[in-house]
Amino acid sequence: MSISPEQKNGFRRFYGHGIPRVKIEELAGKLIVVEGADGSGRSTQIARLVDWLETGGHPTVQVGLKRSTLVSKELELAQKGNILSRTTLSLFYATDFADQLENIILPALKAGFIVLADRYIYTLMARDMVRGMDEGWLKNVYGIAVKPDAVFYLSVQPQELVQRNLAKNATLDYWESGMDLGLSRAMFDSFVKYQTAMQGAFRKLQKTYGFTIIDGNRPVGSITKDLRKKIRVVLAEKQTS
Amino acid sequence: MKTFAELNFPGRLIAVEGLDGSGKSTQIYLLKRWLEAEGIKVYFSEWNSSELVKSATSKGKKRELLTPTTFSLIHATDFGDRYERHLLPLLRAGYIVLCDRYAFTAFARDVVRGCPPEWVRGIYNFAALPDITFFFKTDLEVSLNRILEGRPKLKFFEAGMDLRLSADPYESFRIFQGRILEQYVAMSDEFKFLVMDANQNVEKQQCIVRKLVGEKIELRKFRRRSPLPLPPAFQPAEAKAPEHDEDLAAV
Repeated sequence: MSISPEQKNGFRRFYGHGIPRVKIEELAGKLIVVEGADGSGRSTQIARLVDWLETGGHPTVQVGLKRSTLVSKELELAQKGNILSRTTLSLFYATDFADQLENIILPALKAGFIVLADRYIYTLMARDMVRGMDEGWLKNVYGIAVKPDAVFYLSVQPQELVQRNLAKNATLDYWESGMDLGLSRAMFDSFVKYQTAMQGAFRKLQKTYGFTIIDGNRPVGSITKDLRKKIRVVLAEKQTS
Repeated sequence: MKTFAELNFPGRLIAVEGLDGSGKSTQIYLLKRWLEAEGIKVYFSEWNSSELVKSATSKGKKRELLTPTTFSLIHATDFGDRYERHLLPLLRAGYIVLCDRYAFTAFARDVVRGCPPEWVRGIYNFAALPDITFFFKTDLEVSLNRILEGRPKLKFFEAGMDLRLSADPYESFRIFQGRILEQYVAMSDEFKFLVMDANQNVEKQQCIVRKLVGEKIELRKFRRRSPLPLPPAFQPAEAKAPEHDEDLAAV
């Protein structure tokens, strides 16, 4: 294969073919992803990072799952029914992701913003892998995604996650408990089993995508400190060649 | 990729493909009428008709929110929903499923829009191939005339306006349809399309369609056991649904 500009550049590239007609070398901003289950402290940390970055004079934009103009409402509605099959679920989320990628992430990167993603393709892939979807198929679908500058995975024990979710909502989410998989009739057991399986899938993906694992069992403040330290390094990196 | 017959499904799937105005919808409708009259278990599914996805697609089209990538993915989502919730169970139950457009529509359109062919084909590789695919091949001018005769108001995506081929919707539509036709022709051998001369009259085409279907599918095997299903209350007690294992996804 010939050397493309992004390979010369060193880090900015798409995972696969990317998006037709997008010039990768123009994406000057930074894409920082925070991954982790519900209750892993993801949203808290992102809010703190946004504060810190904006105070420091960096323009930021946030994206996340199920936030697209195109399908978020329809996807939400579909998840409330009991008729969503796994391929449909997967492709629905892929559409939601692609819409945000093209309308928010890529333009923001082009404008030199710091994009903070509250979860990215890895959660989507892990969920689908746990549901028995083919990894190669998923890699093809998400070949449209731009490779982030940093990915942090907040790792929290499932037993701890269950406590945090119950403390916050007094209930467990149907999909975050993997109830569609029939792992257990009891939501509590299903949640723990599902989240354990999700962590297994993340470990598998970590080998390919090499994200940074952050111990999320620690106090909020020390996680923030840790993240800031790592992000400072990312921000210091020159983007364009 | 294998056909449903090759995968030992009890049912069979017949798809029709072709340009807008090729007459494929009329042909598959007449085929459906014939099969129904023959007492065959038949189901019809149309492209872009999933009740879960359709509203998002039409919003995306109306508000011109779609890009080649999201256009492709949202149609794949629609197909995925119909495939897993309707087509697969019906094919397991021994139905003849008729599809007005199948994955080939995406292979043609999305590629014309600039999506890489391997990517589009990869997305649809969860789907088996139809047992029969009719390609209603018209001369470009014939299908264009059928659509454009009344100078209808062409919709933005329908006319391929997102490709910026021409500022004139009619000119854009012509170029767009021409490119799609090229894609269909290029796929014909690979996917063993039964190529129909769709310039000839409707009745003549339907005769050929019925003859070919009858030759390729042993239709008597797909008859309903009784002409009409009995209402649930009168079903004999022994007609219990067979037990089956729902396969749990490997975790």
